[in-house]
Amino acid sequence: MGFFHKQDAHKNMTAEEAADIEEHFFDENFREELRNHGRWYFEKVINKNADLFKKDLDATISQVNTELKDHVTQQLDAAITDINTELKERVTNQLDHQLAEYSKVLKDAQDSALQSITRSAQTLQEQHQQLAAELQKSIADQKTQLNGVFESNKAQIQTMNDSQASALQWLAQSTHAMQEQHDQLKKMLEEDVKAQESTLVEGFESNMAQVIEHYLLGALGDQYDLKAQLPAIIQQMEANKQAIVDDMKL
Amino acid sequence: MTDTPVKTSAQFVLPTSLVSRVDISRLVGEFEQVDNDLTAAAVRAKAGVEQQTKPVLSQPLADFLAENNLSIETSRDRNELITELRTLKDTAPILHMTFAVTADRDSLQTLTKWVRESIHPQAVIDVGLQPALVAGVYLRTPNHIHDLSLRAALKGQHAVLVEELESLRGSK
Repeated sequence: MGFFHKQDAHKNMTAEEAADIEEHFFDENFREELRNHGRWYFEKVINKNADLFKKDLDATISQVNTELKDHVTQQLDAAITDINTELKERVTNQLDHQLAEYSKVLKDAQDSALQSITRSAQTLQEQHQQLAAELQKSIADQKTQLNGVFESNKAQIQTMNDSQASALQWLAQSTHAMQEQHDQLKKMLEEDVKAQESTLVEGFESNMAQVIEHYLLGALGDQYDLKAQLPAIIQQMEANKQAIVDDMKL
Repeated sequence: MTDTPVKTSAQFVLPTSLVSRVDISRLVGEFEQVDNDLTAAAVRAKAGVEQQTKPVLSQPLADFLAENNLSIETSRDRNELITELRTLKDTAPILHMTFAVTADRDSLQTLTKWVRESIHPQAVIDVGLQPALVAGVYLRTPNHIHDLSLRAALKGQHAVLVEELESLRGSK
């Protein structure tokens, strides 16, 4: 520090002189430059230390991270192993207990079912025997009835055969009679048809005569005036002349 | 007009223009009118009034007077003639003739001529119309009917027509 060395050299100076020199030496620009220089230097040191600190911190965090991971992994493995072992034992115990209970219940149910089946089989056998007896009895009854019915049907069939023979004989007679009636009807029908035909033809001829007359009357009526008819009229009057004269003289 | 005595109604010769009794009635009426006119003319002549011309006569009246040579100069002749004409109108024999068509005047006159020549000289015709007759005449005299129409002729031939049809059927 040169300033302090100078201060020692001038220790004889008064305080006022020193103050004046100091004021003269440390003017405002110089102070500002010093502050800037100090600020720059301080920032430089701080930045350098910050980088170093950051690097140390990153390395430390990485190491701590690795160690923490290993530690946690080991702890978890141990805990899981313990829990697995305990859980296995507990589940095994519970399963054994429940299986023992189920086996007991199943055995009871099997015994009960076996007893029930035995009883049912016994009942079924009794019913089977009873039904067999009833069936034999029923078959015997039906056999008796069938024999009766067969005998009865046999008699009826014989009767039917006799009736059928009679019916066939009657049918043959009826057919013969029908044939005769048919021939008679055919003959009558032919005669009737001929008579109707003659009647129709006669009616037609009569009507046709009227039609022809009507046609002639209609056709001739407009053809002749009185002058054209005069010769015929006079001729006819001439033919009836004597009768007319006689009548006029009466 | 000759001066001849008036004929009786039975002696009248009727012209063919007088066909029916209506014609005779018309003739009587016309002649009465002529008589009145001539009488009035005679009275006027006696009174010194100018002489009237002769009255105009219709063709039937002129024919009647001409064919019968009748005089109508005197009032007496005319009166007698009127009386006879009225008698003729009431006594003339009538033939009722019904035709199928309207009778024209010429045909009626022809028929009248034949009737008066063949039946009775003073006969008149009463004309009727019946289209159903088709042709011919339906003649009615005082006591008889003579159906001389075509319809009657065909009606009489109906059986013949039927026989013809039957024979035609038989031939087929």
